[in-house]
Amino acid sequence: MNTYHKKALPLMLSALLLGGCAVNETATVKVDGATKEQILESNSGFLSASLEIADTKVGYAGDLMKAQVTLKNSSRSDLSFRYKFKWLDKDDFEIAIDGRPWTPLTITAYESKSVQAIAPNPTAKSFRIMVQD
Amino acid sequence: MKHLKILTVVMATLILSACASGPKVSYGDATAVETTTTGFGSTDLQTIAATLVDDLLSFPPIVQMTANRRPVVFVDRIKNKTTEHIDTESITDSVQTKLLKSGKFRFVDMTAVKAVQEQLNFQMDSGMVDPGKAVAFGKQTGAEFMLYGNMSSIVKRNSSTKDVYYKFTLKMVNLESGIMEWAGEKEIRKTGEKSFFSL
Repeated sequence: MNTYHKKALPLMLSALLLGGCAVNETATVKVDGATKEQILESNSGFLSASLEIADTKVGYAGDLMKAQVTLKNSSRSDLSFRYKFKWLDKDDFEIAIDGRPWTPLTITAYESKSVQAIAPNPTAKSFRIMVQD
Repeated sequence: MKHLKILTVVMATLILSACASGPKVSYGDATAVETTTTGFGSTDLQTIAATLVDDLLSFPPIVQMTANRRPVVFVDRIKNKTTEHIDTESITDSVQTKLLKSGKFRFVDMTAVKAVQEQLNFQMDSGMVDPGKAVAFGKQTGAEFMLYGNMSSIVKRNSSTKDVYYKFTLKMVNLESGIMEWAGEKEIRKTGEKSFFSL
């Protein structure tokens, strides 16, 4: 290995590590009457490869929509990341922007964890969960 | 050699121009996870408010109670039993705003009583307000429920690690019957490792 390569390798590694911080995984769940449409969006990356949105459930507390998302860690190591719920009305307008914080969560190897949230008001008709490492 | 001189001048210009750009200020995401210290922070405040509001709005007896009416609530103080200075009113403000926006509860604001009284006195006694249009005394609605609570912490540390545990409890009591209708709890654990540089 010459000097150039020795210098370039740490640079490339740090670039990869920094790039890895911006991985997102998003699940959008739309509820239209009795039908439920689930859209999963993810890009490739460490988190997307290890974390899986195993299930999403929608229910009601009175007239407020409630959501449950089951996240599964399919890797051999603990995963620490953050998630955030977003609520949308029937026209896909976001309700209470920044109303919920990014919440840190750790899932141990091969474990599943469910996260829940209640809609901020009765106009919510669908939700979106975003995951970020 | 000539190239080296030009390169040096270019580098020096770049460095100097960077120094002259002044302090770097940027706006961040207000809901981002904040881990500057183990002290009580914005993420803790937002998480507590979101969790307790979710808990209250999904508690079956509360769902039933708020199905056809919007009960009136007043928010009392949250006792801060931690060793830190924490603005607990800020937490209850967030809870109150979220509950109000849910359309399930209404609130009477006890922090504005003095200002309201002054305004009513002005309308009644100043002689400047048309008596037919003045707001009448004694017509305000009394609160049916009271929200109050506690915040406590346990702090442990050794030479390298600091562990902080926060517990926030919020309760809702019926003022007439004295029955506690709901109580919610949120626990937070934060651990900080002492960095090599701060030793």
